[in-house]
Amino acid sequence: MSELYRDVGVVLRTYKLREADRIVVLHTEANGKVRAVAKGVRKTKSKFGARLEPMSHVRVLLYRGRELDIVSQAESVEPLTPMLSSLDRATLGMAAVEAVDQLSIEGEPDPRLYKMLVGVLRSIAEQPSALTIPAFYWKLLAAAGLSPVLDACVHCGESGTEVSLVAFDTNEGGTVCRACRSGVGISQGAITVMEEILGGRLREALSREESPLTHEVAALATRSLEHHVERRLRAVAMFEVHGT
Amino acid sequence: MSFGSSHYTPAMQSLIDEFGKLPGIGPKSAQRIAFHLLKLPAEDVGRLAQSITHAKATVRFCERCFNIAADVLCPICADDRRDSTMICVVEESRDIVAIERTGEFKGRYHVLLGAMNPLEGIGPEQLKIRELVARLGPEAVEEVILCTNPNTEGEVTAMYLARMLSPLGLRVTRIASGLPVGGDLEYADELTLGRALEGRRTLET
Ligand SMILES: [Zn+2]
Ligand SMILES: [Zn+2]
Repeated sequence: MSELYRDVGVVLRTYKLREADRIVVLHTEANGKVRAVAKGVRKTKSKFGARLEPMSHVRVLLYRGRELDIVSQAESVEPLTPMLSSLDRATLGMAAVEAVDQLSIEGEPDPRLYKMLVGVLRSIAEQPSALTIPAFYWKLLAAAGLSPVLDACVHCGESGTEVSLVAFDTNEGGTVCRACRSGVGISQGAITVMEEILGGRLREALSREESPLTHEVAALATRSLEHHVERRLRAVAMFEVHGT
Repeated sequence: MSFGSSHYTPAMQSLIDEFGKLPGIGPKSAQRIAFHLLKLPAEDVGRLAQSITHAKATVRFCERCFNIAADVLCPICADDRRDSTMICVVEESRDIVAIERTGEFKGRYHVLLGAMNPLEGIGPEQLKIRELVARLGPEAVEEVILCTNPNTEGEVTAMYLARMLSPLGLRVTRIASGLPVGGDLEYADELTLGRALEGRRTLET
């Protein structure tokens, strides 16, 4: 019953439990989503310190339990410091873990999701960009086999230079021509940016300054991922209220 | 995890359900507390029920700072000797108790009644942030000390408040976080140790 196992993972969220404990939810490399109790973690003298806070990338030793596992040891793989060095970084980091929390499943290992999350957190720490999270969302959808169609109309299949794609249909997951128009309007610029993101030119997309174009791509990405996970994503919008 | 509800009488089940709604109490603990109460003498249970009702009826939030109060204002807001130019912002009333015990702070407080947690849907609107901003002018506040917890939620809340308050021309400070006295350096995590180095001070000799 008290089988011990090791893994690496990123803390997605935590819940207070009893006086000084927390339930820590991680997406791990080898075990998928893991829910574990960290005993005494809220005490200032806890041996875990800040290692089990959301967005922490940790190597953990866990006891397998019947309902919840128990964290025996935790050490940092990467410091959390950069994620909490600015509000923008923290916001983007939260948005990344929120999305992964929606996609990660207990008992279903998904090492690719782990790698993507670690990658996006690293990129936020180094150089946060207006398109970091939208690009991450599109990549998550692509990894789930839901790459958006960007070069044809998802309704009539019309493609080529003579057809003008004027809208994006979240339900169908792609662009729509003028005749079949459904969903929300999309600019040619946004299609280009999405092609950059999904076509191996991520660096170019990330070097773009915040603009109406990046907002358009961001809104489409959020809407599409929300459609896929069937619930609202709250982290990004929460900090937008105060846009000074 | 399911406890077949048919095993209990409706009264017992509803008691267990109520305990289960309390913070940090899972279904098992709820069950344990409910059974414990049933074993107590009736007068003990009566006293407990009465203190809950009495506390709920008489204890309220301070209208100014949202600390626990017996009156319109809490004892700290009602005390003229406190320095109103400094406000220490905390997450919960119990944090005030902890800071008051140090005897180091002579200003006033503001309780947010929580911290920002986007994943739980707790944003600025759910906290007493608007009320904090409304106090700044009338009370001629010069410094706001952000004393939210040194964890992700607390840090995010502090950064959000700093971004919002700094342009208003007052001094916004954050409590230093560092090594707990009595702890061993080798057990300190990187974030704590890094913060401790940032907040280092000159030793008086
Ligand atoms: Zn069409
Ligand atoms: Zn008060």
